[in-house]
Amino acid sequence: MQSFKTASDRRLLAVFILCVAVTLLLIFGPAAYAIRLSLYQAKTFVSPWTWVGLDNYARVLSDPVFWHSLGVGLIFSLSAIVLQVLLGTAFALLLNQAFPGRALMRGIAILPYLLPTIVIAITAQWLLDGSMGLWTHWAMDLGFGRPHWFENPVSAMAIIILASVWTWTPFVTVCFLAALQTVPASLYEAARVDGAGPVMRFFHVTLPMVIPMLLVVILLRSIWMFNKFDMVWLLTKGGPLHATEHLPILAYREAFLQYDLGGGATVATLSFILLSVLLVLYFHFVPLDEKEAKA
Amino acid sequence: MNAFTRPAEARTVAPGAEAASHGNAAGNRRRHSVAGRLGLFVGVCLMGIWSFFPIYWMIVSSLRPERDLFRTPTFIPKTLDPHLTSYQNLLWLTDYPRQFLNSLVVAGAVVAITLVVSVIVAYVISRYRVPGKSMIIGGMLYAYMFPPMLLAIPLLSIFAKWGIADSLLSLVIAHCTMTIPLGVWLLWGFFKAMPMHLEEAAMVDGCTRAGAFFRVVLPLSLPGIVTVAIFSFLLSWTDYVFALVMISSDNLKTLPLGLASILGSFDARWGELMAGATLITLPLLVIFILLSRYFIQGLAAGAVKG
Repeated sequence: MQSFKTASDRRLLAVFILCVAVTLLLIFGPAAYAIRLSLYQAKTFVSPWTWVGLDNYARVLSDPVFWHSLGVGLIFSLSAIVLQVLLGTAFALLLNQAFPGRALMRGIAILPYLLPTIVIAITAQWLLDGSMGLWTHWAMDLGFGRPHWFENPVSAMAIIILASVWTWTPFVTVCFLAALQTVPASLYEAARVDGAGPVMRFFHVTLPMVIPMLLVVILLRSIWMFNKFDMVWLLTKGGPLHATEHLPILAYREAFLQYDLGGGATVATLSFILLSVLLVLYFHFVPLDEKEAKA
Repeated sequence: MNAFTRPAEARTVAPGAEAASHGNAAGNRRRHSVAGRLGLFVGVCLMGIWSFFPIYWMIVSSLRPERDLFRTPTFIPKTLDPHLTSYQNLLWLTDYPRQFLNSLVVAGAVVAITLVVSVIVAYVISRYRVPGKSMIIGGMLYAYMFPPMLLAIPLLSIFAKWGIADSLLSLVIAHCTMTIPLGVWLLWGFFKAMPMHLEEAAMVDGCTRAGAFFRVVLPLSLPGIVTVAIFSFLLSWTDYVFALVMISSDNLKTLPLGLASILGSFDARWGELMAGATLITLPLLVIFILLSRYFIQGLAAGAVKG
């Protein structure tokens, strides 16, 4: 580690401070601004704000719509996370076997992660299109009648969950694969000598070795799934009749469609407080000083 | 003890590396039984169909003649459109080329700014005694977890005050709030893992600090820099949330926003939509095929928001 001695060191320091200050300001500034906005009543950004203290919070928290959205968000994110982790684990175990064309299959398994959300949303809507969609035709061929995918609350929820699982499973797959390759082969040899079958080896050798990684992956996925706006907005817009309206969509709708910026900011702040619990957990599991010590 | 806690070391365990590495799982060395091999085959096929089918359907639909789209769909298309009408319509009759350019300009600017800022910040943090170092790194990591919607709404209001609302510049700044924390975080891992005596040796040999940086540190950290560039591009190119909030003029729309507005119009032109979706994906596919090593490395470092 060096201190800033020469003139060029000091110039570098000045640039560094500028970069850090601007970046952190651009991120924490708006966050603080959103929290401040939640204490006011405001229709638009240009109209005058009226101080209302915690009224927005009282209003939002006593509104059943908020609790409904919270519930929807929990159902959506928890099911999506569980399915992603299960599927990602299965894919990683498959891709860790030796078979011809493995490199290609690894590439294909990662592909969904690469696609922009808009592409996934459009393709899903095309597959499910009411008159020309491939899956609509299949469902009719199987004798289900003409399905109304997006009009039914259950199938609408299933669509956003499955689309999210499809997109973000590769994240789990890649992390799990990376962790699998740190498991020493000697452990498997020892387990085999002791007579452990493949299932036993998975639960007693693989799983304990990858649990720390898995915890972090689940936390990261939770943090990001809970706030996923674009996938849900592009597929269902929160419908039918708010059946898939979770907190990010509620915040957007209040702020921009109902011209209640204060209310929208309140919902955003509340969901950020909930999220912070997960963030604290994340920093607890992956403490910075531990990384520091190993550096 | 995993890829997350030590990003720089993710390199050594990147899944792209073949089984030759020290401790790969046992299955690799043993021959499978017939049932095992059959199970593996079925599993791999199912995984391939699950992952690739929607992409296949998107590409095929964009290549079929329009009248075919209205008929009962067949799994393998009977006819392909030799004139690529969907693509022609998209490119000549819609704002798509304009939006493609907007997206490219925004993503290019985001990548450039992210690289410069994150290289400076990460390098200084890893090499100098900086007060509040863990605060800065922690702040960046914390910022990286912020939901875009929480930032987008107040950012718009701040940009409105500055008079740059509804401009590509505002979108570039907004995207940088995602990409710079990521860049600093990833590059910090790289610089930290690079022994300091390499630069010291260069400086003993008569390089200035800047010379040592450009001739030794930068070339050696190229994999990290490429990874940061790829992910900054990816985040900016695929972003919908920030663009939705920041941009309202038609001529400033980026690709995801433009496609979403075609989708929202009363009669959805599926052929054009599929062509548009395929064309957005194309640059990403090219990057992925050429640079998949860096891509997987970044993913395994737990770097990417999604």
